[in-house]
Amino acid sequence: MIGPDQRAFEADVAKATFRLGQAEGRWRLIAVTWPFAFIVVNAKDGREYVLRLNCAGYPQSPPTGGPWDMSTNQVLAFDLWPRGQSGRVSAVFRTDWKSGTALYLPCDRESFVGHDNWRSEMPSKIWRPADGIVQYLELVHELLHSRDYTPPLRPAA
Amino acid sequence: MRRGGGARWREWMLRVEAVIFASAEPVTRDTLARVVGKDCSIDLLIDDLQDELRDRPYELVSVAGGWQHRTRTRFADTIRASTAPTRSAAAALTVTFNGESVERRFPPSATVARVKRWAAEKKFGMSEDEAGEHVLQIASTHDRPAPGTHIGSLTESKICNLAFDLVPDERVNGAAEGFA
Repeated sequence: MIGPDQRAFEADVAKATFRLGQAEGRWRLIAVTWPFAFIVVNAKDGREYVLRLNCAGYPQSPPTGGPWDMSTNQVLAFDLWPRGQSGRVSAVFRTDWKSGTALYLPCDRESFVGHDNWRSEMPSKIWRPADGIVQYLELVHELLHSRDYTPPLRPAA
Repeated sequence: MRRGGGARWREWMLRVEAVIFASAEPVTRDTLARVVGKDCSIDLLIDDLQDELRDRPYELVSVAGGWQHRTRTRFADTIRASTAPTRSAAAALTVTFNGESVERRFPPSATVARVKRWAAEKKFGMSEDEAGEHVLQIASTHDRPAPGTHIGSLTESKICNLAFDLVPDERVNGAAEGFA
């Protein structure tokens, strides 16, 4: 028996906005082991980053998560994380934040804690249940396609 | 040239109305001037055309820097109830950046990303990288629709105006300063 949060998540990934992102190759859902969803987001250099997102309480509670290594089943090694030159990407993909388990985004459940100032400073990036998982993925995809994006230190295997 | 009910004036009125009727986008003053010449008062021609349409279920309206035919609001329910395919659902979009505005009609299927590319790169001369640092925000709101959002999902009526501001994207702060 699946819970209401998982049903809501499954309904959202069946919606046009999520499927459009998949059809355009921006992201794709590769697995769900509730409450974790594993979603690949592509970068402008063709690399693909797997995000493991804890979606417990979805969509009232925002997801939380970060880059994941499917082969080792743990947080992606930090030298394989996307980087940035001017701080835009590295401010979000912070290896010094929550041991790499959460992206430093206003729409991330864990990162939002203690950052009420984000409501006024970055209202557009606050979690919107009606937009759901697509909002999180759009923000990540945009960063991975920004001018600031730089490939990881270590080449992909 | 002024109005006066002469045959030439009448011919110009018909030409202007024909061009506006046929166009998929609002017809600008410059376009109409190509039809009737620069010496003719476009405003007076439009006035006369609007007078003629006073008792009709459609009107001639100024929209997005041009003129366009539009069915009168009170017939909207009737048109919807008929389920007849309507001529155009395109939205007239205005994008403003640094006090300068550009306008164009887009079909409902156009995405916010496409509108931003057109405005930022083609109209405001940004590089692709610069455009990536900016986002479209619905004017007078904090709403920044995602790049994949279709324009049609942001509009409510068959023909409508939608205004965006092109603004710098907010950066998440805190990486360099440590974290709270």
